[in-house]
Amino acid sequence: MAEVVLTGLGKVYGDGTRAVDDLNLEIRDGEFLVLVGPSGCGKTTALRMIAGLEHISEGTIHIGEKVVNGVPSRDRDVAMVFQSYALYPHLNVRENIGFGLSLRKLPKKEIERRVREVAEVLELQEHLDRKPRALSGGQRQRVAMGRAIVREPQVFLMDEPLSNLDAKLRVQMRAQIARVQRDLGVTTVYVTHDQTEAMTLGDRVAVMKRGVLQQVGPPQELYDRPVNLFVAGFIGSPGMNLVTTRLDRDAEGRYWVALNSDALLLPESVLHQRPALADHVGEDVVLGIRPEDMEDVALADAQEGQLLHSVADLVEAMGSDVLVHFPIDAEPVVTEDTKELALDAGTEDLPSLTKGRDTVMVGRFSPRTRIYEGQPVAAWVDTSRLHFFDPETGSSIWNRSGDQR
Amino acid sequence: MTAATAPERVRIVEVAVSGSPRRGLLSRLVGRLGDGTVQVALAVVALFWLMPVFGLLVSSFRDETDNNAGGWWTVFTKPAQLTLENYEGLAANETVLRSFLNTVLITVPSTVLVVVISALAAYALSWIEFPGRGWVTTVVVGLLVMPVQVALIPVAKLFGALGLFGTITGVVLFHVAFGLPFAIFLLRNFFTGIPRDLVEAARMDGAREWLIFAKVVLPIGKPAIASLAIFEFLWVWNDLLVALVFADQDSAPITVVLRGQLRQFGTNIDLLSSGAFLSMVVPLGVFLAFQRYFVQGVLAGSTK
Amino acid sequence: MSVPDTDAAGAPGARGVGRRRGHQVVDDPSTGRSPRLAALFLLPAALVLTALVLYPLVYSVVRSFFDRSGDEFVGVGNYVDTFTDRRTLTAFKNNVIWVVVAPVAVTGLGLVLAVLTERIRWATAFRLVLFMPMAISLFASGIIFRLVYDEDPDQGVVNAAVVGVHDLFSPSSSYPGAHPRDGAPFTATPEGFASTGTFRTGSAVTVPLVGFAPAQVPANAAAATAPTAGSDELRGVVWLDVSAGGRPNQLDGAEKGLPRISVEAVRDGGVVGRTTSGDDGRFTFPGLPAGSYQLRLPADNFELPFRGLTWLGPSLITPVIISSWIWIMTGFAITFIAAGLSAIPRDALEAARVDGATEMQVFRRVTVPLLMPVLLVVFVTLVINVLKIFELVLVIPPGSSQEEANVVALQMWQVSFGTGGDQGVGSALAVLLFLLVAPAMIFNIRRFRRERS
Repeated sequence: MAEVVLTGLGKVYGDGTRAVDDLNLEIRDGEFLVLVGPSGCGKTTALRMIAGLEHISEGTIHIGEKVVNGVPSRDRDVAMVFQSYALYPHLNVRENIGFGLSLRKLPKKEIERRVREVAEVLELQEHLDRKPRALSGGQRQRVAMGRAIVREPQVFLMDEPLSNLDAKLRVQMRAQIARVQRDLGVTTVYVTHDQTEAMTLGDRVAVMKRGVLQQVGPPQELYDRPVNLFVAGFIGSPGMNLVTTRLDRDAEGRYWVALNSDALLLPESVLHQRPALADHVGEDVVLGIRPEDMEDVALADAQEGQLLHSVADLVEAMGSDVLVHFPIDAEPVVTEDTKELALDAGTEDLPSLTKGRDTVMVGRFSPRTRIYEGQPVAAWVDTSRLHFFDPETGSSIWNRSGDQR
Repeated sequence: MTAATAPERVRIVEVAVSGSPRRGLLSRLVGRLGDGTVQVALAVVALFWLMPVFGLLVSSFRDETDNNAGGWWTVFTKPAQLTLENYEGLAANETVLRSFLNTVLITVPSTVLVVVISALAAYALSWIEFPGRGWVTTVVVGLLVMPVQVALIPVAKLFGALGLFGTITGVVLFHVAFGLPFAIFLLRNFFTGIPRDLVEAARMDGAREWLIFAKVVLPIGKPAIASLAIFEFLWVWNDLLVALVFADQDSAPITVVLRGQLRQFGTNIDLLSSGAFLSMVVPLGVFLAFQRYFVQGVLAGSTK
Repeated sequence: MSVPDTDAAGAPGARGVGRRRGHQVVDDPSTGRSPRLAALFLLPAALVLTALVLYPLVYSVVRSFFDRSGDEFVGVGNYVDTFTDRRTLTAFKNNVIWVVVAPVAVTGLGLVLAVLTERIRWATAFRLVLFMPMAISLFASGIIFRLVYDEDPDQGVVNAAVVGVHDLFSPSSSYPGAHPRDGAPFTATPEGFASTGTFRTGSAVTVPLVGFAPAQVPANAAAATAPTAGSDELRGVVWLDVSAGGRPNQLDGAEKGLPRISVEAVRDGGVVGRTTSGDDGRFTFPGLPAGSYQLRLPADNFELPFRGLTWLGPSLITPVIISSWIWIMTGFAITFIAAGLSAIPRDALEAARVDGATEMQVFRRVTVPLLMPVLLVVFVTLVINVLKIFELVLVIPPGSSQEEANVVALQMWQVSFGTGGDQGVGSALAVLLFLLVAPAMIFNIRRFRRERS
């Protein structure tokens, strides 16, 4: 077991494309770190550099005490679970799991014992003599896991190991991976583009965009205190509602933002958390409201300055909750970050969800709501959980010092 | 998902050759002709294709007098003409027997060498990175259609200087040289179809390049190697031109020896037909036993 | 399956090359980048290919500018010789015929048969049968077809069939080569054997024939007897005037009449009566007006049988060899095209049909365009094969038509190693052959590059 330290890590391809830029990360011994981001953000490249499958252009990688830059993959004592599982089609499950051990010339008995142990943990005992093609997707995935576990490496590397499974199985396997990692306590770097996986699995989550690390922290911190528009938009589903609006202060010193004909009043706590807001009075800011921070007013105890009024455009009943879409009269937000997010979602060339100057908001309401499409909506907003971003830089507005924490 | 994907071409061939027949849309075009008509027409075509070989086979089982007196089809009315005489004669003909042995001695080493050398090269071209890899591969592709004629004179000279002219070794070397471009091309195509993850998994599992080649790529490449081996075997076995130039009397394969009998075609049809059939037995057997691999090999290497 | 990361570098081999090339040239054991190791793996192949293919290619080009002995530089002299030599020109001419006719024929035949076999249940067996010739040596195929096209209808199955069909529509004569005995009063005319004199009605004519083996006389023939003269009919007998101890022009007891010989009565140059002899050889012209008539035995009684065509003669030899090549290559074309057909996405065709296309339109507008690349590959492959054609031309033509059948590859061999012994001209021919296949080489390289990118 060991810690993994990436210092100034960079990857530049022959054609000049930069895949990873100055990546600094310290993965603690036994920690489960998830690298998350949209396609092409460099997360897999970073993982492959740790694995030793990709040449390191810049910076260094430590595993344990050792700099491993020039060390071949086979001597780094790391094991990897591939997205495609990469099972050897000509070997059966037993041989697949034991392949790495047999290459290391371990005694046959020892190999057999360890394969058996791992097979037991992963409930593969009955399939040991089968070839990969005779296995189901879930079983293949477990064999791939087994092949990594049996090596008892210092570090596990996982490259979207669940993306080839169907949704139900994915949830199940997610839990199994979490359990196995916890029991073995092996340092793990896990790459995914699925933010749910990232949030549920990671001790800490590192969000990347275009080769650059945006934020790293425990899942809840990323959710509560995203450093910029990109992280805010990427974490959470449905995504945070973002609108451009003006921050004002009235004669009584109360801060508020106008939306539609409504005004949202900022409570003291928000100003306390975000002292820098004071510098933006009278300016446009990006306001972020998470869908789950809204509720049907009929079901909430609303006070003045916490209401948004509109007409329901679309109502999606999810069972556990209801997603209500409604337009409000506000400038949609278009920045580098939101474009990147749209690109990831594949909606970049869709006619935007706005109607004229309108922005469509999504609220996650309790299933007890009685709102139907075409009916007026009155949404209560938990104003203590409002997010604010600088429309120029996209950064969250927190402290005055410019230090974002 | 995890199974190695063969080159696209090889895979579709498999479907075409051994897949179950489907109600093709194209075939509906001709459906108006009526199923029966089509079947009968195709049966006739198939008969046309079988008859020449059958004729040679029957002729080889008739003695000289009968062959001169009437066509092979007379056996349908007089089956008593069938005799093993020609083959007995062949069995007693030392030149022919020796040449049959020579064919084996030329074919087997050629096939083994081509497979081994091309597998090594194909691995380097697919999975080891080095500058100029694309360029080397392009040369190999260019050499695919190289006519052997351009090398006959120079290599004859070279072999003469090295004392290889007229030897089995010389014939084998020439076959290997001209078998390699196709072999490398075929295996390279297959090897690059192996998922990259597999090779990397082996690399992470601790395998060195040599072990990745021997323990991962070769076993997965088995079907392609089988196709190649069978194709190469038949190619060399069936050769006439190369042996005609480079073999002498003692190293001549069966095709060359029989070719020497050709001048008296009319009078020694007994020897020619039985000899030709003898030379065909091995390839036909190989073909029937491994037809799927062979068809794949031929199609994959269509450019040869 | 989810969309894989574009940065996952999931593509193996070739795609990876372009991406990583040029950045690092040094060994990096971690990522399989290792020029030294590559060199080791490539060494055997490189040695063999350089020594026995690349170097010889260069050598041949150089050699082609030197004379027979190889000592004297003759410039393009060998090439000039090549284009003035009659045999070589024939070879070029034949190569052109081959290239124009054969690949198109095989591709077309392959397409038709591939489409036809798409629906039948025994398609696999059918393709196997047609593919089989690919497994046989070209030499053996040559022998097979030499036998198939043998001139003697009692040897070559093609001529046997041709004669059989011919005889079905115009049956051969029963008495080929037979003719009246020399002393008999008949002379040969273009129409047949005509009597030198005339016969009056009521007389009996004897027509003795020879030049025919008694064993060949039909089994139903009865002993010939002299017809009785008299009444107003013209009568006679035709018989084979051959028997042991028999006298010429005399009906001897053992001599057989010849049945089914047609006889004509002629008057003033016009045929006025026709009859046929019976089992005992006797014939009668009933109802002839009284008068004198000339008798004639029409020539078709005695025609020599049709013997078919001289396939292996100089005029037909190239088509014959092409036909054997078609026999060999059609299976290849079918299998390749069938593979292409089965690779056409079903939904593309179904979409077209849902869009209202008729089957014919689907075929023309969807299937054929999608199949075009496959047809092109098949065609180019066949052209390359045709240019190198050698064994069939060496084996199938008998000596007398070798020259007419000649092709470049064969001529090169003959000039260099056969009768010629001129390696200067031989090298020039080899270089020309190389130049002929060069376009195919470029086609292959382009296709390969395109597939790779």
